[in-house]
Amino acid sequence: MAKKKYAIVLDASKCLNCKACTVACKLENHVPVGHETYRIWVTENEIHGNFPNLTQTFQPSQCQHCENTPCASVCPTKATYKTEEGVVLVDYDKCVLCKACMTACPYDARFVNEHVAAVEKCTMCYHRLPDREPACVETCPTKVRVFGDLNDPESEVSKLLAKNPYYRLKPSVNTRPRLFYIY
Amino acid sequence: MKMGKLELTRRKFLTVSGATASAIALSGAFSAVKAVESNNQESMQHGKNSKFIPSACGMCVNKCGLIAHVENGKIRKLNPNPKFFKSRAMLCARGNAGAEEPYNPDRLKKPLLRQGKRGEGKWKEISWEEAFKLAAEKLAELKQKYQNRSSVAFISTEGFQEEFFKMLSTSYGSTNTVRHPTLCMASVIQGWSSVFGTYPDADLTEADFVLMLGANRAESFMTPDTIDFQKSMPKKQTLVYVDPRFTSTAAKADKWYAIKPGTDLAFVLAIINVIISENLYDENFVNKYTHGFEDLVKHVKQYTPEWAEKECEIPADEIIWVAREFAKYAPRSVVYPGRRTSWYVNDVYFRRACAILAAITGSWDTPGGIVPKSSIPLAKHDSALYPLYDMVEPRIDVSRKSSFKHLIPNDERAKHGLPYDKCAYLNEIDGSWVVFRDSVLKSDPYPVKGMFVYKQNPVEAVPNREKTLEMMQQMEFICTIDIQMSDTAWYSDLVLPESTYLERWDPCHSLSGIWPIVVARQPVIEPIFNTKSMKEITAGIVNEMLKIPSLWDDCWESDVEAFKETVVEPILNQPTEKFIEHQLSPYPGAHEMMLKEGVFYLDDKAKYGQTKKEGFRYKTKTGKIEIYNVRYADDGLDPLPVYASPSQPKPNEFRVILGRHAWNTHSGTQNNEYLHELEPENAVWINEKRALELGIMDGDYVYIKSSVGEQKIKAKVTKKIRPDCIFYTHGFGRLSKGLSLVYKVGASQAAILEDYVDSVSGNAAMHETFVEIRKA
Repeated sequence: MAKKKYAIVLDASKCLNCKACTVACKLENHVPVGHETYRIWVTENEIHGNFPNLTQTFQPSQCQHCENTPCASVCPTKATYKTEEGVVLVDYDKCVLCKACMTACPYDARFVNEHVAAVEKCTMCYHRLPDREPACVETCPTKVRVFGDLNDPESEVSKLLAKNPYYRLKPSVNTRPRLFYIY
Repeated sequence: MKMGKLELTRRKFLTVSGATASAIALSGAFSAVKAVESNNQESMQHGKNSKFIPSACGMCVNKCGLIAHVENGKIRKLNPNPKFFKSRAMLCARGNAGAEEPYNPDRLKKPLLRQGKRGEGKWKEISWEEAFKLAAEKLAELKQKYQNRSSVAFISTEGFQEEFFKMLSTSYGSTNTVRHPTLCMASVIQGWSSVFGTYPDADLTEADFVLMLGANRAESFMTPDTIDFQKSMPKKQTLVYVDPRFTSTAAKADKWYAIKPGTDLAFVLAIINVIISENLYDENFVNKYTHGFEDLVKHVKQYTPEWAEKECEIPADEIIWVAREFAKYAPRSVVYPGRRTSWYVNDVYFRRACAILAAITGSWDTPGGIVPKSSIPLAKHDSALYPLYDMVEPRIDVSRKSSFKHLIPNDERAKHGLPYDKCAYLNEIDGSWVVFRDSVLKSDPYPVKGMFVYKQNPVEAVPNREKTLEMMQQMEFICTIDIQMSDTAWYSDLVLPESTYLERWDPCHSLSGIWPIVVARQPVIEPIFNTKSMKEITAGIVNEMLKIPSLWDDCWESDVEAFKETVVEPILNQPTEKFIEHQLSPYPGAHEMMLKEGVFYLDDKAKYGQTKKEGFRYKTKTGKIEIYNVRYADDGLDPLPVYASPSQPKPNEFRVILGRHAWNTHSGTQNNEYLHELEPENAVWINEKRALELGIMDGDYVYIKSSVGEQKIKAKVTKKIRPDCIFYTHGFGRLSKGLSLVYKVGASQAAILEDYVDSVSGNAAMHETFVEIRKA
């Protein structure tokens, strides 16, 4: 069987900024509560226009699971690594909390989890795969995110990317994220 | 990722990436049906000591299906139930945060008896036996003293176990049951029912044009509407949203009109005017199904778009555009009925106008229109017999001898179709909160001196908090049943801890709608503390009541025996599992399906056209869709909605408008750590121009003062609200020290809201308060 290549395709226009993903992720992944540290978040983009002609969009975001991985490159202990499916993970035992990865990450996706004494971030709910979807994907009311295997041309993610124009965050830094935002 | 300061960084990189999230067609990737098919229980059964147990959420009124992931007897995570198609298989922030409810350190853990003064917070832990005995004795004492069972009020809000609380009030025999609808949706139910004989749903999956007036569906979650409008919109749907506030729904809408508060009726009447004057109405539908169209034609002539522009501050040509578009897409056009409609004193007339708009365009009982709810009927306990008591008086709020003129603002509206001596159509079970409280305070026409409260928190829910506290102060006994020390519990004498929704069996609830479905609850974990379900509490109190002869001296002895045989033994003293089994007994296999899947349904297809069948009679006086309401005319109300201008704030004042959002429910969830983290403190939205005039900067603290109270709160200076009103979220500035995260944090709404009433439906009018603001 061919190797899997995991990706998440997002349609930000569907996002209601309801925070379901944020809370689901916290509980699924034991992210400490009360410190305002999040593996996944929604940004309220700046309001445009003057009253009453206003527009506003929401931007859901998380670790972009880059193919070209600055966080792994700078890690002195190889705590950050990539699985064969392309999921970027942190080995807590190897992390020495030097925070180089936090500086290197162009997406601001990493933070210190004092409970595990390591830097952490989104894992695409690797522990749920392949039987169950990531918690954020599963719980989202409007199904902003679709998770799947890019190596399978029949997967929903492959079809969405074939059909829709898309962008990735910060293309200028050449990280080649596995999160795709469709227009 | 740390929220807060780093937000700027995120904005920056998004700007650099040049990303704009514009909505471009995406064919529906997930249909309800597909979600239903995608369930695979087997593949979920991995992990050691892991169990996946289906149940239903209890964090808001939607009751979404969930599957609890339980590890070693502890809840690890709550996930959506893919078979619960009413929510389109989702679980929101609150639903997820529910996993913390049983473990919340502030939870009530044992029955508590007040020791010091009310509100002082001195409690003694007592046993359940003592608690049941005390409650029964107090009920007997109040009955003897006042010779009137209605001298004890039973106050509650909806929920699976409310059924058993009602059994307690019926067992005791009080007529004074007071429920949440008159703080919420009483007027929308009355308004739509006065036209169609029912309170219907909107089919947002098939609608091509949607008009939402103040119903903030993107933030105030109602299933399946919140999901459907967003899912359908990128495809084809046009959404027009009308609200003084730029909410997340406004952000999603194709058009947003910042309407002047309180003038929505003028806007809708002008739309009707255009549709009629341009002959855009559905003549066939009107002739076949409706009554009173000719009266409407004459009536709305005065309501031109040019006239409405002056009232609503929405340009006349925009009103004309909305009217033409609405008619163009009809019957696949929706004027959305809404949910919490406790806005203005004449709210019923506004809701009537919306229903009339649906009627004249034929957007009724058809795909993409307004559709009456269907439901799956459950077996009832028809044989239950309660004693008939002598010592009972009619409801205290049913009519008021002393004037209740002060409950209606003294403006033009008071002269148009609003009774000012009673509520015209008071619901006998729900009552009217605002009128009830005033009647109790005046003992008009008799004293009410006891309160049993289940799950509701009137101290924070009912406008004018001081008045509620005053009412409670004059009570001789207050017993509150809750999972947490609500503000009402804090001022009670006896506090009984209920098990959370995740620790108990709950009876089936048949959720009516376009896609009817039944849910029930099974415990996903054992109760952690010494708590009981409402059913067990009712059984405990009733069993003690039966030991007190004086409680049964105003009814026949045979009644008491029948009561024991038909209520106490077969229902109260049996486990809830039996109750569920009975409810589902008409459907073979339903009980097994419920236990295994957490849901029961007949099919997942929408049903249309039931009310268009030959011989169907609408539940109105004429049996037709009443554009002109005959009963209203008989009762001295306006049979067609007449517009009257609301009072406006003085130049130095603001109107308070309320609204909901996606991460808290009423005043019940703010003390949940996961939700608290999302909004640790509320802040008042003030228009940037007004803030500048007042010298208020974003983040400053301000005082908000109305005629009934004052609150201190942080300011959110924004362009997202009109200059003439302010807004802040519900559930902060709390009085109970048992809600440690929100005790005295932020501002309370109840503390500053004045108490007015929509005297047609009895609904509270909560958008009628004017306040002054000054920098703290």
